[in-house]
Amino acid sequence: MASKLDDIFNECYERIRSGESLESCLRSYPQYRAQLEPLLRTTFDIGRRISYIHPRPEFKHWAQVRIESAQRYPRQQARAETPAASTWLRHGWAVAVSAGIVLLLTTGSTMAASSQALPDQPLYPVKLATEQVRVALAVSDTQKAQVETELANIRAAELEAMANAGKTEEAAKAADRYNDQFEKAMAAIIKTEGTEPPPVIVPPTATLPPVVTTPPVVTTPPVVTTPPAITPPPAVITPTENTTPTTTTTPPAVITPTENTTPTTTTTPPAVITPTENTTPPAITTPPSTETQPPPTATRDKGKSAKTEKLIISLNKSTSKGVTALQGAKEKAAEPAKDDWQKALDNIKSWSGDKDTTSKSDNVTQNQGNTGTGGTSQTTIQSDNNTAPSPASPSQNKPSTSNRRSNHR
Amino acid sequence: MLSEEYLVQQAVNGNQAAFTQLYNQNFDRIHRYIYIKVRDRAEAEDLTQDVFIRALESINTYKWRDLPFAAWLFKIAHNRVIDHVRKQSKEKRAPLEEAYTRSVEDPIQMTERDYEVYQLKVALEQLPEAQRDVATLRFIGQLSIAEVARTLGKSEGTVKALQFNATASLRKALYGKLDG
Repeated sequence: MASKLDDIFNECYERIRSGESLESCLRSYPQYRAQLEPLLRTTFDIGRRISYIHPRPEFKHWAQVRIESAQRYPRQQARAETPAASTWLRHGWAVAVSAGIVLLLTTGSTMAASSQALPDQPLYPVKLATEQVRVALAVSDTQKAQVETELANIRAAELEAMANAGKTEEAAKAADRYNDQFEKAMAAIIKTEGTEPPPVIVPPTATLPPVVTTPPVVTTPPVVTTPPAITPPPAVITPTENTTPTTTTTPPAVITPTENTTPTTTTTPPAVITPTENTTPPAITTPPSTETQPPPTATRDKGKSAKTEKLIISLNKSTSKGVTALQGAKEKAAEPAKDDWQKALDNIKSWSGDKDTTSKSDNVTQNQGNTGTGGTSQTTIQSDNNTAPSPASPSQNKPSTSNRRSNHR
Repeated sequence: MLSEEYLVQQAVNGNQAAFTQLYNQNFDRIHRYIYIKVRDRAEAEDLTQDVFIRALESINTYKWRDLPFAAWLFKIAHNRVIDHVRKQSKEKRAPLEEAYTRSVEDPIQMTERDYEVYQLKVALEQLPEAQRDVATLRFIGQLSIAEVARTLGKSEGTVKALQFNATASLRKALYGKLDG
């Protein structure tokens, strides 16, 4: 009997869930009506109460962001997920960001829509805020570098869209945003190397002279041997040689100490280095040649360099994309507007180090003046300036690996 | 609309969009299920997220024939809740937090709803563990009898009996009376 009632109760519950009325179900079992009705009504009541429970929208959102990034970067994300981590996220500034987002939107669809928003669209701020959550959720340095690089790619796509749409003002802003993001990505990439920002381009006069000078003498015996070894790696040495005929010989020695730490590494960075070589001849002729030191990548160890290079190449492509779009827009623009486009273009160039423009040389000198502020490093774009001839070529940016604060700011 | 089985297959093969869709389909109910069991919003959020992270981690080992996807998720959730409760058992449990219900314009109505959710939680807590497990999976998780049975490793007959008794007990706890 009891078990039969269990079955009947379950059957009625299912029937009602699938749309049938309570009454019609009870009619099927009039003999159990008295027992079934109150119990079935109880299930209704439970369902009603449960319907009041909803996850907080901001939680639901960033949980989704978290899952999505875990999908992209499986291991690290998943492992990083601990109650402590999420608690931090909940109570930390990510909450503030999320809360801000929630104010701007109320549904996940808005969030999704914002991911496609362009700078001139209302949801763009939402997109930026959402991205910050992504950055906040990236736990490891590698993840951060990947996320920051992805964001740089997004900034470049926006820049391209604005340029293609002929929106000069927005494009200039987009170029600026791209530069900022480029710098963040570079800083994050460098951080993944586990070393301090590789001392690539040291302003001749400014910073680090003491350290540098020491090399010739201080350099330990083994160090001496390294220089020749370094020579093989094409990019690194070539620039210096070309640029500084006689005196320059010393600089390479300067570099060696740093590199010694990671001897073989020098050879690794293929793609990155190439640009330097090509470019070297023309620009570097300027005295500051001393700065032209092997691209930072050279210092990195092999294990990490593959990932790093991938990210850098991705950044280079983004830069090329943005620059190409701006150049295209400039060409199409009416004469009076060309200057505006050039300004936007200059922003990008100052970073990527392309060269043609005269202003470039100004940049170089200015940068030299700077002690490599920008919070990150001493390095400046100079090497880039020296290098990359065509802005469109992805390779050019590469050397700009050094985090630099460009003059355009 | 794509069948859940198809989506799961896609997700198993690494299709991110498929997993996201499964996530969207199940997030709310998994969250409700956990929330009603742990009684604390922060814990519920942590655990809900953790369930999906774990599901993502092991999705490639998932086999449809073993357990329907929703049941699989609830099984993960169920185990996570058990682990969590065990860990917390020695600690003083926090007083029932305000139930966070969907924001409603009327604060009085909101308070009433919070209270009703609170009552339900208390009622569920008073149930014997087996009944509580069945009731939460069935009424809150909305799983079928078969899914509940597979999730809990019990026979369908047992689950039906537990469901019936749990409903009667809940009625008593909620309204203070027994019927027939």
